[in-house]
Amino acid sequence: MLKIEHLSKTFDSIKAVDDISFEVKKGEIFGFLGPNGAGKTTAISMISGLLKPDSGKITIDSMDLESHLKRIKKIMGVVPQDMAFYEELTASENLLFWGRLQGVKRKILEERIQIYLQATGLLGRENDPLKKYSGGMKRRINLIIGLIHQPKLLLLDEPTIGIDVQTRLNIFNLIKEASLQGTTILYTTHNLQEAEELCHRIAIMDQGKILAMGTLEELIQIVGEKDIIIISGKFSVDQGRKISSFFKDATVLSLKEGKIILSLEASKKMPLLLEEFFKHGISIDDVSIKQPNLESVFLKLTGRELRE
Amino acid sequence: MKNILHLIKKDFKRKWKNPVVILGFLLIPVIFTLIFGIVFGSSEEQILPQVSVLVADKDTSFFSQFLLTSLNQGELKKFIKLEVVEEERGRKLLDKGKASALLIIPENFGDDVLEGRGAELTLLKNPAEQFLPQIAEEIVDTSSLLFSALFSVFSDEIILLRDVINKGELTDVDVSSISVQVKNRIEGISKFVFPPVISLKQITISEKEEEKATSLSVQGYILPAMAIMFLLFICNIVFEDILREKEMGTLLRMSVSPMKLSEFIWSKTITSALIGVLCTLVLIAVGRILFSIHWGNIFLVFLIVLCLNIMLAGFISFIYSFIRTERQAGAVLSSIIIVMSMLGGSMIPVENYPLFIQKISKFTLNYWGLRAFHKAIQQDPLQDFIPILLGMLAVGLLFSFVGAYFLRKNLRKGLLR
Repeated sequence: MLKIEHLSKTFDSIKAVDDISFEVKKGEIFGFLGPNGAGKTTAISMISGLLKPDSGKITIDSMDLESHLKRIKKIMGVVPQDMAFYEELTASENLLFWGRLQGVKRKILEERIQIYLQATGLLGRENDPLKKYSGGMKRRINLIIGLIHQPKLLLLDEPTIGIDVQTRLNIFNLIKEASLQGTTILYTTHNLQEAEELCHRIAIMDQGKILAMGTLEELIQIVGEKDIIIISGKFSVDQGRKISSFFKDATVLSLKEGKIILSLEASKKMPLLLEEFFKHGISIDDVSIKQPNLESVFLKLTGRELRE
Repeated sequence: MKNILHLIKKDFKRKWKNPVVILGFLLIPVIFTLIFGIVFGSSEEQILPQVSVLVADKDTSFFSQFLLTSLNQGELKKFIKLEVVEEERGRKLLDKGKASALLIIPENFGDDVLEGRGAELTLLKNPAEQFLPQIAEEIVDTSSLLFSALFSVFSDEIILLRDVINKGELTDVDVSSISVQVKNRIEGISKFVFPPVISLKQITISEKEEEKATSLSVQGYILPAMAIMFLLFICNIVFEDILREKEMGTLLRMSVSPMKLSEFIWSKTITSALIGVLCTLVLIAVGRILFSIHWGNIFLVFLIVLCLNIMLAGFISFIYSFIRTERQAGAVLSSIIIVMSMLGGSMIPVENYPLFIQKISKFTLNYWGLRAFHKAIQQDPLQDFIPILLGMLAVGLLFSFVGAYFLRKNLRKGLLR
């Protein structure tokens, strides 16, 4: 359904997207995971036709984006990060407007509006102006606008920022339902739990590049059996390097003054590691061990925690 | 085209739900017209301010007094306020701008006139004023001409009268002698003067004829003048939405829909023109009901309203192609609208400007809109309108197309923040 080949985009000598390639199948939920500035939004902007890539090719539903932009726009839905609608208009008026703009007939739209509002628990509020809605309710409307014309490809740019658990669940159900109906979904997020819970496959992106891609299980394989150990204390870079060198199966993921992140089998080696620190007279402030999960994969791949 | 209709419908709904700003801009011209009507009266007669003229009478003869008295009598008294001063003080007052002109009557003015030597009156005009000193000059000029004619015809009798006055006593013989001479003189010229070759026929327009009156009332001037200025502000509100939609992200969302950016821009231009037309029609109705303005042929007025609003919307769209932020829009547009309105006659009648500004006025939208409305009110023949209407339409369409082209480029660049 969606095929990206060697896509690149540079802004003032900064490579926002650096030669990325991937494919997404029909009905698949594909997660784009990465910190802010990783290049996720730039990639989505190119896929939606808003930005012209410097190089590379985008194919949607077997059509080249550049030469079939008009046709592709009809089968594509976009849910931006910001809530983009008219607050002074009611939910019905907004959904009618956006649906009509996508070329859906009024009668069909009226039926769909009822269905979507019912599914999101907003039925009965359709005639209220959106300015009277809560943040979570607005998020739901923001998503429905992207879905109202039942697109073949839906691009979601962090659609769950700042919402409560209930609304998140509601939005996830709507996305899963769309996926079951055959809509291909490209979902960008920097929330690991969201990616784990929702996406069939995930691409981890950092500094414009895709570092790894696969199902959750495939990605965890990258870390293997080892845990990610993060130690903070009063030690220098040299001391950190020296201590880690005693453990031949350890991989240093990140080392800076006062903090070391390494990949090591914690259950067997943790006591020895701490003993080495104490031997060197180093006082330790904090130790954390992460089981193999998406976060540890990200740490291993980037040497950074996602929130850093 | 379908998308343009959806966009226009959406914009109308949005404006309908939040009409305060547009209503405010509609109300201001009505209030201005009301105030001007109260201050300057609602009748169609022109009310001119009194011209303050200082007089330095260095002659102080019978004749200079005669001249001053005649300037200060009858109808002239309504227009001229005379104040006799010393020349030096008069000049000082003029420098301070306390009067519109200073008339200097030279020494021996009376003798020079009677001896036929030719006397010269000097009129110093206040350079800071354009209009009032002109009136003073016209009045003094006309009076001088009349006096010259009077002295030429009755010179002998006036000399006789002066001698009698100078002698200090007036006998019955003197009176009868002067009377006989004046009688003979009048009889001599009567065949040329009576009946007058040129006469002035005074007609008082009856109530029924007034219905067809073609003169312009104060309200008939002010309401369209103010309306055009505030219509520009109303157009600005619609176009401001472009920047707001960019900020809100709705424009970005529309850009990934099948809608073309040019459709979005044209929808704003059409919405702006349509809202302008509605607002103008409301103002025209208010003008008719509140101020009894006779707008003339309704069909013609509608054409003016349509062409005017196409021109205004096109112009604002053109200006917006250079604007990137709401702050810029606020500063630039307000300045342009106010200056253009000032030059174009929305604040001061163009006729009051010096000639070079009057030439500049012709490059403003207000000037042409106002001309069209005034011609309609004055019921000018149809052929007078056609060039103005076509001109407004052509300018509007030209601005719209150029504006749409550049605005599209501008928006495309700034779409992704």
